[in-house]
Amino acid sequence: MAWRELKKRLSEFLEIPGDVMLDLPRIVMVGNLQIFIENHHGILEYTPELVRINVSGGELQINGSGLILRNILPDEICVEGEVKTVTFVR
Amino acid sequence: MFLFKLLSYLVGYVSIAIRGEHPEKFINMAAIRGICLWDIRRLGENCVQVNVRLSAVHPLRHIARQTGCRFRTTKRRGMPFLWMRVRRRRAMLPGALLFVLGLYMLGSFVWFIDVTGNHRLNKAEILAVADAAGLHRGMPKWDLDPDRVEKAVREQLPGVSWAGVYVKGTKVTIQVVEAALPGKISAGPAHIVAQKAGVIKEMLVLAGHPAVKEGETVLPGQILISGIVPPPEEPKPPAVPPGEAQPAPKEPAYVHALGTVRARVWYEGYGEAPLVESGRRPTGRTETRICMKIGSREIILFGPRKIPYALYEKDTSVKELPEWRNLRIPVELITEKYRELENYREVRDRESARRLAMQKAMQSVQAQMPPGDKILRRQFTDLVVKQPENLVRVKLFVECLEDIGVEKPFTPVPGPGASPLPGGANPPVRPPDGIPPAPAGHGPH
Repeated sequence: MAWRELKKRLSEFLEIPGDVMLDLPRIVMVGNLQIFIENHHGILEYTPELVRINVSGGELQINGSGLILRNILPDEICVEGEVKTVTFVR
Repeated sequence: MFLFKLLSYLVGYVSIAIRGEHPEKFINMAAIRGICLWDIRRLGENCVQVNVRLSAVHPLRHIARQTGCRFRTTKRRGMPFLWMRVRRRRAMLPGALLFVLGLYMLGSFVWFIDVTGNHRLNKAEILAVADAAGLHRGMPKWDLDPDRVEKAVREQLPGVSWAGVYVKGTKVTIQVVEAALPGKISAGPAHIVAQKAGVIKEMLVLAGHPAVKEGETVLPGQILISGIVPPPEEPKPPAVPPGEAQPAPKEPAYVHALGTVRARVWYEGYGEAPLVESGRRPTGRTETRICMKIGSREIILFGPRKIPYALYEKDTSVKELPEWRNLRIPVELITEKYRELENYREVRDRESARRLAMQKAMQSVQAQMPPGDKILRRQFTDLVVKQPENLVRVKLFVECLEDIGVEKPFTPVPGPGASPLPGGANPPVRPPDGIPPAPAGHGPH
């Protein structure tokens, strides 16, 4: 954990965004219609009501209805549908 | 995203249904391998539908084996599949080719010939000349020589001073500019007669025999300059010896009378203006509403739904699509213009009302007068009615100098002594419609 802490300090000191330095996901939401997740590590589960996505340091849960995966690229996922909650789970 | 979809359409893509314990695994592995998947939706328990490009289907089979999934194609879309379908229908491609070829071929003929700019000349006449120069309906455009047609139209039709031939698609437009021809002067004998009553002020006789004198009063239709010129007076031969033939009386000459006859003529006008005037007049504020009428429904495209004026007048113009055969498209474009009106009441004093009445009287006179008349005198008279009323009435007399002569052709009556000699006294006033002069002594009056 010390290594991670050091990297965080360094990125803060050099003002480098965390998604580059720390391999954190960058999540962009367009209202409750679309979510773009960059830097993902694959999907864990997909149903129209729940999408679980593996990200560094945990998993991202998207609850909603009528969810579809619009796009999957090696480093980006786009989820569309009616999003209700977005949760981080350790 | 649009570009991506377009490219996918061009290279072809398929929808596949993945069936297995963990379709997510399958999707992950595909994504890691750099296979692009899109529009992933769940179809049911253990079943997911995925779109993927045609080129990526083959690698997916390995992934399916590794993850223990099966997939099958449900939909095929894109150009490769379309192309296969087209190839199966043998006649389609030649048909399409033939269509394009036919369109091109038909587009290289002249199908319409239009003539513009002609007012006096007949369209058929111009077309006949153009036809002779090699422009006719149904001819191929590569045989058309516009310069030759232009030249032919210009040279063979004397009424055309310039001609242009334009080819636009399958339509050829012949544009002509007509030459301004000099006004026709009738060659036959003619009198100059009075157009209206007046007192002759000055006369200038260029040809013919003056029939009236200056200061004389003339009536409409009266001959002013006669086209019958009497033979010059000769000294009477002192004596004609008996037995010898009498010299035949000289025939009068018949000419086309020319000249200017100016006379003083009078016009009368009347104008009135009320002291208190009320009515409605536009305020200058307008609203425009454009509606589209489809069948019996009207849709307001532009403009207010409700007219904000209490008093208004409305102009409506309707544009319809042209009818073709007996097919009529029931669509109309209606433009309505609303002009606001207001009630007004104006009170004038007698002097300004009089001025207004005079103006109106002058306008009424000017409406009767030909343009270019010189006004010699004008006289306003107030008309006074017994009962006092809220109205000023003005009468106007205008005297002006005007050319009252107008040409009137006639047919000379041959025969010695049969023609009236229009010397000295006024000849009888002739009926206005070209009846030859009556023999002397038997005038209509």
